[in-house]
This record gives sequence, C-alpha cells and structure tokens, in this order.
Amino acid sequence: MGLLHYVGQRLITYVLVLFIGISITFFLPRLMPNDPIDGYIAQIQSRAGQTLSPEAAAEIRATLSELYGLEGSLFTQYLNYMRRVVFGFDFGPSFSAFPRPVSELIALALPWTLGLLTTTTVISWLLGNLIGLLAGYYHNRRLATGLEVLGVLIYPIPYYILALTLILLLAYTWKIFPISTTIRPAPLSLAQLGSILYNSALPALTLVIAGFGWNILSMKALAVSTKEEPYVSFARLKGTSDGTRMFRYVFRNALLPQVTALALSLGTIFNGALLTEMLFSYPGLGLLMRTAVGNGDYNMLYGTITMTIVAVATAALVIDLIYPLFDPRIRYR
Amino acid sequence: MTKAFRFPRVLFLLLTVLSMVACSVPPTTPQSQTPTEPPAQSGAAEATTAPAAAEATAAPAPSGDDTLTDVGTPRSETLIFQTFDRQTANPDLHNPLMNGYALWRGFRELGWGYLWEMDTGTGQSYPELAAELPEVLNDEHTRFRVKLREGIYWSDGVEFTADDVIYTLDTYFENRDKLTYFGISVITNYVKSYEKIDDYTFEIETINPAYDLSTVLGVYTWGSAFNIVPKHIFEKEADVAAFRNTNPVTLGPYVVKEFDPNGFWQLWERREDWERSAWGWQGEPKAKYVLYKDFGPEETRVLAFLENQYDVDTFMSPESIKAAVAQNAAISPYSPTMPYHDMNDACSYGILMNQHKAPLDQAEVRWALALALDLQDVGINALSGEFKASPLPMADTQILNPIYFAPLQGWLNDFALSDGYKPFNPNFGADLVGRLSEMGLPAEDMPQGDEAIRSAFGVGWWKYDPAQAEKLLGSVGITKNADGIYTLPDGSVWELEFVIPDDWNKVMQRVGFSIADSWRKAGIQVNARQVDNAEFGTVQNTNSQLTTLLNWTNCIFSPNYLNAWRSIQPEYLLPADSPDTITGNMYRWSNPQVFDLVKASYSQEPTSPEFQEYGREIIKAFITDMAYINLMNIPTTIPTNNTYWTNFPKADNPYAVPYSWWSSAKMILQNIEPTGAK
Repeated sequence: MGLLHYVGQRLITYVLVLFIGISITFFLPRLMPNDPIDGYIAQIQSRAGQTLSPEAAAEIRATLSELYGLEGSLFTQYLNYMRRVVFGFDFGPSFSAFPRPVSELIALALPWTLGLLTTTTVISWLLGNLIGLLAGYYHNRRLATGLEVLGVLIYPIPYYILALTLILLLAYTWKIFPISTTIRPAPLSLAQLGSILYNSALPALTLVIAGFGWNILSMKALAVSTKEEPYVSFARLKGTSDGTRMFRYVFRNALLPQVTALALSLGTIFNGALLTEMLFSYPGLGLLMRTAVGNGDYNMLYGTITMTIVAVATAALVIDLIYPLFDPRIRYR
Repeated sequence: MTKAFRFPRVLFLLLTVLSMVACSVPPTTPQSQTPTEPPAQSGAAEATTAPAAAEATAAPAPSGDDTLTDVGTPRSETLIFQTFDRQTANPDLHNPLMNGYALWRGFRELGWGYLWEMDTGTGQSYPELAAELPEVLNDEHTRFRVKLREGIYWSDGVEFTADDVIYTLDTYFENRDKLTYFGISVITNYVKSYEKIDDYTFEIETINPAYDLSTVLGVYTWGSAFNIVPKHIFEKEADVAAFRNTNPVTLGPYVVKEFDPNGFWQLWERREDWERSAWGWQGEPKAKYVLYKDFGPEETRVLAFLENQYDVDTFMSPESIKAAVAQNAAISPYSPTMPYHDMNDACSYGILMNQHKAPLDQAEVRWALALALDLQDVGINALSGEFKASPLPMADTQILNPIYFAPLQGWLNDFALSDGYKPFNPNFGADLVGRLSEMGLPAEDMPQGDEAIRSAFGVGWWKYDPAQAEKLLGSVGITKNADGIYTLPDGSVWELEFVIPDDWNKVMQRVGFSIADSWRKAGIQVNARQVDNAEFGTVQNTNSQLTTLLNWTNCIFSPNYLNAWRSIQPEYLLPADSPDTITGNMYRWSNPQVFDLVKASYSQEPTSPEFQEYGREIIKAFITDMAYINLMNIPTTIPTNNTYWTNFPKADNPYAVPYSWWSSAKMILQNIEPTGAK
C-alpha cells in the first residue's frame, strides 16, 4: 500500500508537471515580441530588389496565417495544440522549413544530439567521478591535489574558449581532427561509422573535458566527507584494503547525489549543445531551437521544448522511482 | 545493498550501449523524390538521381596526386564558397515555389534560369532564357511579347519551351493559396493574363502599366519572383505544394550532385551539356564542381581559410580578414586600399524613424539626430574606418553615383536648413583620411587624391555639429537639463528607443551601439535595444513598436528606385499607435509632393531622363525632411583565396560584384581560372 501510494503520488506529480509545462510552452512563445509572418515579410522587403507590392505583402500574410494555423483565437489554437500533442505528439509543420513537420526535423537532429551528448555526458561523469574519488580519498597526497587543481582549472574555462583552444591545437596545429564537420550521406557501414566517429571525436572531446571538472570537484568533496564516516573507520579497523574502502564504502555512498545529477543531465540532453553545434557545424537540436527562436517558429519551439520537458520530468520520475533501490533509508521511510 | 548497487552498473552499461547505438545512426539520406521518369534521350540523366545515397560515397577519381575535398571531389576542379546562411533549415526541399526551399545553396545561380538577368557590373538587364528584352505591344505599357531563346534544355534532356513558362504561370495562379514562395503573390498581383503564341513565344498582360517587366519576371539583383519550373516534372504531381523536388531537374549548367541532409553543405556538378543550359551560351563555367559549405563561425572559418580549404568567404569581419591576409599570401580582400571591401551592395545602412511619433514628427528633431551623429567616429569604432558614407537615401555605388550623386553634388553643397545653416560636409572623406592617418594606417593603404577619396569614402556626409543639433532641438522646445540631458517640452527626459540587431548581424550591432554612444555624448538619452531576427521585422513594420531602428531596407541597385520607394503613398500610413503591420511606406513619410513624384514615376521608363529626374527630386525631399538618416553603404567583406582559383572580381577588375549569392556568381564562374595547384 505504501509503495502504491509512493508511486501514485509521483505519477500524479509527473502528469501535472507535463500538463503545466506543455501549456506554458504554448503560451510562452506567443509572448515573444515577434511574429513569424512579419519576420518573413520583413526579410523579403529587406532583400535587395524584390518588388513586394503592398498588395502582395497583404496576400502573403493572409495565405501564411491560414497555412500556419495561426487563425482563430489564442484559446482555440491552444485547444487544437493540446489535442494534437496529447493524442499524436504532433507539433504541426515547422514555419521556417514549411511544410515539413516538426517531428521529422526533430527525428533528423535527435540521433546526433543523443549520440554526442549521451556519450560525452556519461564519459565525463564516469571520468570526473573517478578522478574526484581519487582526489577525495587521497586528499592529503600530492597527486590528489594535482587532480583537484586539474578540476579547478578546467571547470571555470568558458566552453567556447576551451573548444577553440582544442580546435587550434588538434585540428589546426596538429591536423588530427577536421576543423568542421563533413559527414556524407551514405548507408551505414564500417567506413561510414568511422567517418561519423572521426568527425564527432573533437566535439565530443571538448564536451568531455568541459563537463568533467564539476564532477571532479563535487565527488572530491563528497569523498572527503564520506571518508570520515564511522563505518569507513570501522572498515579500516577491520583491516579491509584501501581499494575496498574507497570503492565499496566511500564511492557507493558518495554516489547517490551524483546519480541524481547524472539523470538530470541526461534529461537536459534534449536541449542540444548549441555552442558545440555552432562551433563545429555539427547537426543537433540546439541549432534547431536557435533557428526556431530567431524565426518565431512556434511549432518548432513547441516540439523541442516539450521534448525537453518530457525528458527532464521523466528522468526525475525515474530517479524518484528507483531511488529507494539505491538508498534503503527512503525504503524504510 | 549489493543488489541495489547493481543498478548504477546496469545503468552505465545501458547508457553506454544506447549512446553508441545512437551515434551509429546513419545520417538521413535524401528523401526520395516522387518517382519521375526522365525521357530516354536524356543526356544528363544522372542529374536526376545524383543525390541518391548509394552513389554518394563514390568520389570522382582523382587525377594524379590531386588533393580531395571533404566531399571527395578533386580540389583543383572544385570552387568552394562559404555558405551565406551557414545552415539551411530545409536541405532537401528544392521546390522553388515554396518558401524556405534551400535557396542559399546555389539554386538561383547554378540551378535555375531566368527570362532576364542583370549585369551586376552595370545594372543593365539582359536576356537569359528570353531571346531579347520584352517587346511592348501597346501604348499603355501593359501588353508585352516575349521571345524565348531556342536550344535550351533541362538537365534531363527535355527542351525548354513556352509551355514551361505558361505552365509555371498557371501553377502560380491556380495554387496561390497554398504555394508559399513570396514570388507567387508578387506575380499574381502583377500579371493579368498570358497566352502562348508558339513554342518560343508568349504574350503577357500586366494589371498596371509596367516598365519593370524584365526585373519582375526576371532578376533584379540576386533572384527573381518568377522561378520557372519544368512542366514535364511538376505536372505529374497531384499537389505541387507538397512536392519536395529533392532531385531537381535543372535549367542552369549545374546539377545537384550531393547535399548534407543536415543542411551544412551542398555539392553541384557541371552538366555534360552545359552549353545548352540557361546560361551556358555565355561561356563555360570553369569549375567542374561547386561546393557550398559552412566552415563554422568566424573563428574556425579563418583557420579553414588559412588552410586553403575554401575559396570565397562571405561577410568575414575586417579584423579576421586582416589576420588571414597577414598569414596567407593567397588571401586578399576586395581592394588593396581603404576601405578594402566591396561597397556595391544594393542596400545601405540607415536609421528608420517613426515620423508619426512625437517628437520625431518634426523635421528639426530628425535633423538634430543626423547632426548629433558623428559618423566618422561610428565608422572608425565599429568598422575600423572601412566604410563608405552616403548622404542620399541609397547606396553610393558605381551604378547609382553618376545618375543620382554626381548631379546632386552642387545641390548638396548649397542645401540649407530653414535657419540658413548648411549641414553638408563635402570634406567628410578627406577628414576621415586625416583621422585614419593619425591613427597610424599606412599611407600606401590610403586612397590618393580628391577623386579617389570620394570614390573610396563617399561624396560627403552631414556635419557633426552637436551645437547646431541643440539649436534645432531648442527651436521645438527640447532643451538640456542641468545634467546635460535633453528634455521634452513638458520637462520629462527625452528617452529615445533605438532598436538594433543582436548578434545575428554583428556588424550592424556594432554600428548600432556606436551610434547610440554618439547620441548619448550629445545628450540624448538613448536606449539601444538589441532584438533577434524575427522581432526586428516586427518592430520595423509595426507603428506601435517602432521609434527608431537601424536597418538596411533601402535597397536600390539599378536606376529603378521604385523597388524601394514604390509604396511611399498615403494609403499605407497607419496611426502612430497602430498594432497592425504596415504593408508599405515604411518611412511613415507623409509628403504630398513625394506622393505625386512617385506616382508620376510609375509611368516612366527607369532609364528615361524624366524618371531619373523624378528620383532626384524625391531624394531632395528625403533630405529636406530628413525622412530617413542614410548612413553608409554596406561594407561587403568578401575575401578570396587564390590558391586554387584566380581572377575573382576585385576593385581593379570589377567585372561583377563579388557576391556568391547573387547573379554575379554566374560571371564569377565564367571568369575564374584554375591556378593548376593540386
């Protein structure tokens, strides 16, 4: 009964979060002081030599309003939107890539974002936590101090600067990786996979290096405090080895907040990595969102933001549901 | 505990596997086209299947030790342009009747053909698909006969005829409610009727007297409202609006060979039968392949440019160009002397003011804003002095200067405000040279002599005279308070909103902040508000949102100024606080004399002395009312790299404007020469 209550409560919260989030997602872009149709007309007017007569401008406005589904009251549009999203996860056509459906564009960008960010998030999490653990467990040793300094030094470097430095070193000075991404369309093969990995390696490396600094610092702090816990002292008195105490006693117990952070990081993967995508001309959701904001592409914004909301809310739900398995104290409560 | 601890391990394993799987998802291959069956006689049938994924990886065989491009073509045979828009949102949409098709990927220059083209060196129209300029059939200038050039073929081997033109017009009219390309509305509001006379002749009637048929149904500078589509392909489609035309049959001398489904690059290959393409009759396009590719933001583009990875950049900043030129002798700007860059873009930077809103409804205030603006400072701070000033409401280009600038030079010198003050500074360029020299710019980089200085930095601009600005503002009750800030007649501080682009246009952003700084120094409380692309358009077109805005909408390339000024008419004016968008007269300018002049221009040939005289009178009215503060030509920063190709248009060889996204690309392709570098 307690378990059912626990799960039910969280599921209700989950649904409420989704409903409120998706509703806000609908209204928020409408508060932006721009209009996709006016933006388009202004673009044409500002292009050299295009004779856009006032009559033609008025006709374009009427045609696009109808095709984009921007006619009718805001409430009517909201109801249509909720019906489409809830029952079909359909966000309609993208305005900036009309008439292509938003879902198609997202499906095209999503594998790149997932591939790059899932890999780099997990690697930087693993690497950062392992280094942080070593730095925290052996915090009185010189090597540990060095590892901590590494984290302290890397963490505050703005991503853009860090990535540019790596490009300069690894793509321009030593021509190990390409400066910009070029992946040719081809059926999946070993060669194609190699091309994807080759082109993705440098963007991934920048993300890993930029990401693991925080993990080092946070795990180091957790490890230092956990190491002082009585059960670790008891284990030492029992004669357990250093490695056993570090991994089985300190790491396990220090891991809990880090797992939460990882889950939430994985949820936010759906935001894409805008700077990486811009810097490396790498496809992904970040650029989709940026284009959508710049062009007032409501439908694209709805699609990408809703996906992020669902992902983060789901990640939080999953963490809530599996946390008792990690932490017996919650089970007992 | 042990069981619980298995979860993180399982989780890690799962995530790692998932990520590897996701990473190995292949890029989406081009969406397959609705099947079309090119006729058997096709001489270039491979064009229709070129982007198919199966052959995408089949790189052309390199000759000898040729360097290969990223897409597998021999570098020595490939001309590479940095893309104009970085990434296209719709890379597989090649239907030119739809808004948002991948138009910045070379379709206008390499893929389509137009009835009439424009010589960007002279501003003259010339026939491309048409055999000659349109023949006028009546005195009202509403009926025209057009003869087509014979012997032009689509890339699949079908001959281009009047049937294609008529079919395209039919399609425009029959689908005007669902085709989204802006040209649909332009043409359907311009053309009244049309009929085929024979395979190479058609007649057309316009709704109103038309003196610009060759630029409305043809090209004005970079594109056309009238994109002719192949009848034999499009007529098979039940819904032309849903047709993506991913593997397009082209009329130009190139066909799409391959493109990035994510929109960062597109590769074109020259047709075997390029001579019988839309503009192949003009001469051979020298590059066998043309690649449009994004090399990233400016920081990485410079690195790729230094590595000779591409040939022509687009809008690189002056600082980056300097850095690149210093490190690679093959890289050069448009001109070896100041202001280094091409200044022939049709548009110019200027300040749009809402003349409906007090106090901007008074000419004295608008003039005060012009005189409180230190344009030399702005140009030096924002553009390192690399700009060309223009006091007239148009760009001071090699085409427009002799028609509008030179004849008005005397008038500008003598022009006086109502209090007798003469605001024009004809020595603007010489003064600027003096300031730049003091800053340490090398003498050999400076234009020498009055004529060269005027050609480089413009005929002059308005004096920087804050004292006169204060006098003008004082005459309408706007005075400075004890803090030196201007206050309105009611005593409140005059807060001026000035909208500028945010970092989607970095040059304008810098110019905008510099202008705001100049006005602030003069005592005007300016709020420079940066906005994104879409909001910029909304502000520009909505009275309730516009106060002042830095923009570039005043675009005039040929003597025909009506493209920019046609709608300066009273019917397009809306109340000052109207939230409705305006559809014309974006200057919000009410001047009956100008309304008449614009109307009178409608019925004149743009090349006629009368038309051009009307234009000069409109310009005088613009200046007298200071209806628009024109600032400068747009510095079009296009450096080139001569490692693999040479003879790009330059200041000393201006056979065309140097833009890769205009019709000029056609001329560039015919005139460049391979260097032989492999």
